[in-house]
Amino acid sequence: MKKLLYSLLLVVPLHSFAQSGFQSSVLLDPPADTWATYHGDYSGQRHSKLTQINQDNVDMLGLAWAYQTNQNQSIKGTPLLVDGVIYMTTTNNVWALDARSGRQIWRYRYPDNDGFHIGQRGVAIHGDLVYLTTPDAHLVALNRHTGTVTWQLAIADYRRGYWSTNAPLLIRDHLIVGVSGDFDNLPGLLRSYDPQTGELQWTFYSTLPSDLRQPGDDAAMGGQMWMTGTYDPALNLLYVGTGNPTPVLNGNARPGDNKWTGSILALNPDSGELVWGYQINPHDTHDWDASEVPVLVDAEFDGRERKLLLQASRNGYFAVLDRESGENLLATPFATLNWSLGEDETGQPIPDLAKDPQQAGSLVAPDESGATNYRSPGFDPDNGLLIVSAADAWGIWFTKEAHGDYGWAGADYTIHSRGELRAIDYRTGDIAWRYNLYGGAGSSGVLTTASGLVFTGDSTRNTLALRSNNGESLWHVATGRVTNAPITYMLDGRQYILLGAGSTLFAFALPERLVN
Amino acid sequence: MARLTSLAFAALLICLCGISRGATDESLPYPAALAEQGQSRFVAACGFCHGRDAAGGSRGLDLIRSELVASDVNGDLIAPVVRSGRPNTDMVPFDTALLSGQDLNAIVAFIHNQRFLASTLEGGRRSVQPEDVAIGDPVAGSRYFSEHCTSCHAADRDMAGIGARMEGLPLLMRMLYPGSERGRSPRPANLSVIQSDGQQFNGPLAYQDEFTVAIRQPGGQYQSWLKNNVEFTIDDPLQAHVDQLSRYTDKDMHDVLAYLLTLNGANP
Repeated sequence: MKKLLYSLLLVVPLHSFAQSGFQSSVLLDPPADTWATYHGDYSGQRHSKLTQINQDNVDMLGLAWAYQTNQNQSIKGTPLLVDGVIYMTTTNNVWALDARSGRQIWRYRYPDNDGFHIGQRGVAIHGDLVYLTTPDAHLVALNRHTGTVTWQLAIADYRRGYWSTNAPLLIRDHLIVGVSGDFDNLPGLLRSYDPQTGELQWTFYSTLPSDLRQPGDDAAMGGQMWMTGTYDPALNLLYVGTGNPTPVLNGNARPGDNKWTGSILALNPDSGELVWGYQINPHDTHDWDASEVPVLVDAEFDGRERKLLLQASRNGYFAVLDRESGENLLATPFATLNWSLGEDETGQPIPDLAKDPQQAGSLVAPDESGATNYRSPGFDPDNGLLIVSAADAWGIWFTKEAHGDYGWAGADYTIHSRGELRAIDYRTGDIAWRYNLYGGAGSSGVLTTASGLVFTGDSTRNTLALRSNNGESLWHVATGRVTNAPITYMLDGRQYILLGAGSTLFAFALPERLVN
Repeated sequence: MARLTSLAFAALLICLCGISRGATDESLPYPAALAEQGQSRFVAACGFCHGRDAAGGSRGLDLIRSELVASDVNGDLIAPVVRSGRPNTDMVPFDTALLSGQDLNAIVAFIHNQRFLASTLEGGRRSVQPEDVAIGDPVAGSRYFSEHCTSCHAADRDMAGIGARMEGLPLLMRMLYPGSERGRSPRPANLSVIQSDGQQFNGPLAYQDEFTVAIRQPGGQYQSWLKNNVEFTIDDPLQAHVDQLSRYTDKDMHDVLAYLLTLNGANP
């Protein structure tokens, strides 16, 4: 009965807290001993300034410690590190671990529930609280020192088909939380809560609920914002990618562009108001979210310094935007695709409706999993490369009248997929180098460091360190398939590389005798 | 109370989603109450990949049209897959700590009842019927086959009778890339290795990454080498199927399928 109450009501906060513990201002310039938000900082570059591990010594990396979760759910989330404590998740679970030894400090288990148990991408931290999202679309605030529940609330109604894997994003006194839900025709929503009290501050709809629609409005639902966004403090803009429209494969039920699904959006984090949008995947009929990380880069483009936003999107397009205005500067494929007729004058791809799902089947690249996906890319500022876990993949796609206009509304099957790490030159979209992942689409994200290294995993069982300027491998170890995006931090003068492979969290470092 | 609440949720879920309707309890293969119990466990543990209604979700197979499920009797085939998983796929193992025997039995009941109720399902993936894909021109398909496929295949050899053995979506997927119709690895490429001592090995490629290659020898023995230590070549005849994917128009694809359907043994 408690659960029922929690599901139906926004729970009144049980406590109020004085300002203490971890403050969001740290995220503006995170110190080396901290990885305090999903991407490490607000830019989404997943680029570390640490250089202790470099191209000359990386082949001496060894295991510092490993932690075994004993769960069948893989570690898909990015662990956070604050005050020497690692906060790691799988679905329904949070662990606090000693970052020096891997020793468990506490573990929290969310009660069994009926939501989709598909993954968990990590927590957020503010003050003395750590925040977990759950399969039944709840947000749970735990005391980060003890792992006990401080408050919890329902972000959305899981009985309608919502769930959440989202790692919330803390922007000052806003905790931004997204949900998933494309097996049902649901409005796409992103919510901001007071991180101390859980009070709802605003809701942004990428597609409107039926009671807010006007006659003649675009019929699409969906556009869930299930990945963690990025933030430009100077512009005070939150950037977030939106998911595919629903019904998923039946585009006839929702003619038009289906805004704002398949889009990169800039929102005011104080109000949730839309400032601009760029639809990289108009009228999607292939489950190709544009939820991939909007990476923020300050760099030269066409001869002048600009504030840029880069995205390698699931539909196979790489786009560069001016992140102040939303103007598209470049849109070009980075992987095999056959669904586009080119780009219009605004840089928006033009879908070939002949490649929509058909009753007899349509052979389309990429497949449902996409040319890339949730796997975070890494940016190498020295070489201007966005390093992306890509795939050239083909699927066959079906829909017919009998499939209806609700939920998936069709069928699709992967025919073939080949994974490759690709280094995209942000200035041109050219592929500067490629690394064969030896299998289908990978599951690892990418970390880059200022010492010219890339840490990632292949599609078989290797953790890899590559040169970021040419993709040459310098070190590898068979951890099992890497299932999250590696992070790095410095503690006690020793740099660690931390990554999840299946149910094990591995910490690698140089031998102590070399670093002390 | 907790049990009552979860049953109430399950009942509510069914009402909201219209997952099962149009059948009486008496006509179902398994008791409705058991299947409802299985449904809530199935949705949580399996629903994302296999669909809330077991008709396929993101990535996972449509279970209500699965051959394995069709051949299953009281979980004798389903349970081993759930308990052991499928290596090198997203199908992870669920041991008894994660899924009790009682829950697994309930899930089996749910899947079988869903098969029975398939004609009334909503919200998941849908079936592809043989007649949906059989729209091509066999004459044009024969021409395409002659031009693009005969370096490896012949209508009177390996393709003889294919149209009698397979049809519909499975044949289309097999034609596009053999193995994809079963969601498994296709026939492996052939690996040839020459060791530094001159000894040679040939056989199906069992593993490859940047650093290692491995072979499965005729007796089943697995043997691996560091790539740096040997000379090796890999011959993958199925690469021709991959290359073909970007050349097919949808019409070509349907025409070749129509042609293969004529190779049914009746008209060799």
